[in-house]
Order: sequence, then C-alpha cells, then structure tokens
Amino acid sequence: MVERLLNLFWILLGSGGAWHAWTLGLRGPSGPESGLFPFIASCAIACLGLALMATRRSAAGNPQWPDAGSGLRAAGVALGIALMAFGMDRIGFVAAAAIAMPVLLRTIDRASWLETVLLTAGAIAAIVLIFGRLLGMPLPRGPWGW
Amino acid sequence: MDALSGLAMGFSVMLTPANLYYCFLGSLIGTMVGVLPGLGPLAALALLLPVTFTLSPIAGLAMLAAIFYGAMYGGSTTSILVNIPGEAASVITCLDGHQMALQGRAGAALGMAALGSFIAGTLSLVVLTFFAPALAAIAIRFGPPENFGLMALGLVCTLFMITGSKLKGLLMIALGFLLSSVGMDMVNGNERFTFGVTNLTAGVELLAVVIGLFGISEILLNVERIVQNTLVAERIKKLLPTWSDWKASFAPILRGSGLGFILGIVPGGGPITASFMSYAMERRIAREPERFGKGAIEGVAGPESANNAAVAGSMIPLLSLGIPSNPITALLLGALIIQGIQPGPLFITQRPDLFWGVVAAMYIGNVMLLVLNLPLIGLWVQMLRIPYRFLFPIIVLLAMVGTYSANKNVFDIWVMLGFGVLGWLLRKLEYDIAPFVLAFVLAPLLEQSLRQSMTMSVDGAMILFQRPVSAGLVAASLFLLVLMVIRQFKTKRGDS
Repeated sequence: MVERLLNLFWILLGSGGAWHAWTLGLRGPSGPESGLFPFIASCAIACLGLALMATRRSAAGNPQWPDAGSGLRAAGVALGIALMAFGMDRIGFVAAAAIAMPVLLRTIDRASWLETVLLTAGAIAAIVLIFGRLLGMPLPRGPWGW
Repeated sequence: MDALSGLAMGFSVMLTPANLYYCFLGSLIGTMVGVLPGLGPLAALALLLPVTFTLSPIAGLAMLAAIFYGAMYGGSTTSILVNIPGEAASVITCLDGHQMALQGRAGAALGMAALGSFIAGTLSLVVLTFFAPALAAIAIRFGPPENFGLMALGLVCTLFMITGSKLKGLLMIALGFLLSSVGMDMVNGNERFTFGVTNLTAGVELLAVVIGLFGISEILLNVERIVQNTLVAERIKKLLPTWSDWKASFAPILRGSGLGFILGIVPGGGPITASFMSYAMERRIAREPERFGKGAIEGVAGPESANNAAVAGSMIPLLSLGIPSNPITALLLGALIIQGIQPGPLFITQRPDLFWGVVAAMYIGNVMLLVLNLPLIGLWVQMLRIPYRFLFPIIVLLAMVGTYSANKNVFDIWVMLGFGVLGWLLRKLEYDIAPFVLAFVLAPLLEQSLRQSMTMSVDGAMILFQRPVSAGLVAASLFLLVLMVIRQFKTKRGDS
C-alpha cells in the first residue's frame, strides 16, 4: 500500500515537473533552454513511477515497518528536530537545544531525568564551545543574547 | 612538475601544525565512526562537512579524506570484537575476524587488519602519486564537449553502482537530476521550480540533502531497534601477528591491494565491492577453502587491505578528472565545489598545492591511523560500551548545527528533516539512495558543459561527435548503456 502510494507520488511529481519544465522552454536559438534537463528528468520519473506501479518485480520484499514502540522512538527524533528547527531562530540555539535534547533522550531509550539533564547540559556546552568558540561558527542567539 | 617534486611540495604544504592537527582529527573521527556501528562514513562526512567550511581548503580536505579511510580502518574493530560491522565495507571481516576473536586470537586479527590496511593504503598511494598526474596531463586538453562526454560516462557508470531494483535506482538518478535543477539557472537567470520561495533561489542545499538522506535516515532506522553490543574480548593482547600469520597473509594483502585499487577507480566499485571480491578471491584460490568462515586470517587480511586500497583508487577519478566513483567521493567533490574549487583536468595545474597536499595528507594520515589503531585499541574497545541512547541525540544535534551552518538558514534544517524522512521511507522500500547523490552532484556539471558546447557549436549537438575525445567518451557511454540493457535483459530471461 505504502509502496503504491509512493509510486503514485512519483507519477504525479514527474508529470507536474514535466509540465513546469515545459513552461520554462526546452530549446532556444543557442541550444537547450532552462527547461530541457528538468523536463527529461521529470519524464523519466513519471515513466519509472508508472513502470514500478505496473510491475511487481521491483516491489520491496517484506518492508519492516516499525511497531508502536519503535515508531514512537523514530517519531521522537523527528519531533526533536522539528522543535529545534522551529525554535532556533526564535529563542536561539541554546534554548532550542535545551528543549529538543530531552525530547530526544527521553523518547529514544527512556534515559533517566538525571542523565537527561547532565547530557543535555554537556552536549550543548560542548557544541557551543567547539562550534561557537573554537571554530568561530555563529550559532543563532535568542532575544536574551545567548 | 614531476610527481616526486609535486609530492615534496605536498608535504611542505601539509607539514604545518594546523594541517597536521586536522588530519589527525579526521583520522580520529574516522576511526571512531568506523568503530561505532550505526553511523557510516558517508553520514559522518556529511555531518562534518560544514566544519570544514571554516578551515582552509587543504585542512578541510585532509580532514575529510582522513575520515574516509579512518572509517575503513576502524570498521574492522567492531566486526572482529562484536560481530557487528562498524561500516558496510567491514561486513565480510565479521566472518573470519569474529571467529578468530572467539578462538582467543582477537589481537592477531585486529593487528593484521590494521597492518594490512596500512600496507595496502601505502602501496595504492604510491600508484596514485604517479598515475593521477599522468591521467590529468591527458585530460588537460579537454573543452566543454569533452567534459560533457566525461560527465556522461560518469553518470552511465553510476548505473552499474545500483544495487537492488534497477528501476528504483534509475528513478533515484532522475530525482537527483530534477532536484539539482531547482534554483536559478546559471546561464540565463531563469528561476526553476522555486515557486516564489526565496530560500530555493540558490537551489537545494547539498548538505541538507545528504545529511538528511544518509545521516538522519540512518538514525531513524537505528532508533527503531536499539541493540546492545556484546564484546568478545575485554583486554586485547598480542596485537603483532606471528611469523606464520604474516606468511599466510602477505599474498592476500598484495592481492587485496591490487584488486581494491582497481575497483576503487572503476565507478560503481569502491571499498564495499572491493572487500567482498577480495574475500571471494581468497576463498577461491585457497588450498583449504573450508577454513574460511572458521577463523582464517587470510579472510581478514585480504578484504581489509582491499577496502583501504579502494579509498586511494577512488581518489584518482575524483582528483584528476573531477568524476566521483562512489557516493563518498561525490561528497568530497561537493566539498570542493562549496570551497570554490572545481576538481577536474585543470585541478593539478591550477591548484598543485591542494592536489599534492591531499596526496601528502593521505600518506601522513595512513601513518597516523596505524598509530591510532594499534596502541589505542583499548580506547576503541571502551568506546563500544557507550550506550546508543546517549550517542544518537548528540549526533542529531551535530547534524542540525552542521546543516544550519552552511547558509545560516533554518530552512535548510526543514529540508534536512524532509530528506531524512524520505530517506527512511526509501530505504525501507529497498531503494538504493547512493546514485541519487552522484546524480545530484554531476547533473549541474553535465548540463553546464552541454549548454556551453552547444553555444560554441555551429552544428548543434554534432560537436560532441566531431571532436575525437568527446566522440570516444560519448561512444563509450552509449556502449556501456547498451551493455547494461543487454545484461539486464539476459538476467530477466534467465529468471523467467
């Protein structure tokens, strides 16, 4: 089911891409225009999506989908990243990481609260020190200046 | 400049405290990545790529190259002691290496893996020193049509790299092509597939794509199943192999070096293929093949030598022609492009300091790795005790900082997350995502060289066939394409 949906997505992506590339122009007086390469790629995606939909040969044998527990762990990682992405510009790296790290640590393997606090503080301090100070990489700061 | 004076210049560039430090750091991180299961060299390189932006090109490249071959060294430790490959090229080492550890010979297996890797790495570097400049000297006369032929050949060779379903692999190549075209067209300034999103004007960030596809997806897959490592040996003794070990391993090391080097050059080859083929070859020519799988030291020496030799081999097409032969070298190519350096036939003449500096860095890194892998083996064994639940959040945090640092733009983190989830789904459904990266890196170069060729031509696309070298390269690409179709057709008929 998931695989068929993905194949359908390829067909739609390829068709949409081909249509948009066509509007960019395929050939001009001096040869290929902006649309030619993406048009070819999009057509290939749509055709290959159709071929995958039509044949069962290429279907994944037995994909192992996560059960509730492992799915929750993977979702926890995705949520942690999303929280960081949402917060970094608004409250700065340190505060965003201080929120996201516990989510990651608690969902991946139920770290104790003491381990969570120590690891969060240690990891943030190490990153600020290595990236922010030693490598001079500017990390986003919050409204309070850190 | 001849090879020896070039190499001398490379050493003079590399032998500064800062460059040596970053080479050492790369070796250390590479070994760590190789030792720890769950984080491959590709993901590690992707994660650390942004760190190199703040460094000089030579320090950055030395560090990235050191991570690449450091991972090949370190991968054997986990295979031998835990029976879990630290990275894919060490899968085959589990068979005999772990059996040796069970028989109380972990030290000999680890020692032979490290020494074999060192010998193979050094031998293939010597060949690289003389071969790459010779190849570049021929390629220096290349113009846009020849470059197009070269890129087309590189892309066709990518087809041979596809593992699993060819249809899915082809789709990944097409997707790499399509996504690489997002952003402003460099020839006429037209915006392609940006849909008014300002963040897409400069294109999809390579770093966000590779960190997502390889790093985040790998983490998502790993957190689904948290495994505990079971160490076979707590204390490693007798690391130096005995005379009889040497006698049994010397020829496999030499054969592994040759095979690995050649497979490294061939697009679609690389360390993983090299280690498997070396094992198969050793087993086939062995007087007692039944010993394999039960602790034969040749089964460790050959593959471990082959995967290290393949690293040096894969640097030849990258440094002399600008063609990546595997996803890791595609990432190195991306790192060079981000630094404003275009590897290709002119690379050696325009930036001899960088070319020879990288070669010298590989010689130095090889020695550093031997020192890191033998006396510090106890440290790596202890590292295997760190629970995954502590490692993954830190890796995720590093991934985010790394992605953000490329453009100082949070949008890239969302792109990374999107590609992470896509990579997770694609890997579940048995898509080979490696060709995607190669296509993503090669496609803009291919398009640019074709459009330049057409602009300078009066006969349109015929220019590709009017010049002997480009005609030869295009013909070779077509020949390989036909060969692949025939092979695929035969396999299909054989199956039915």
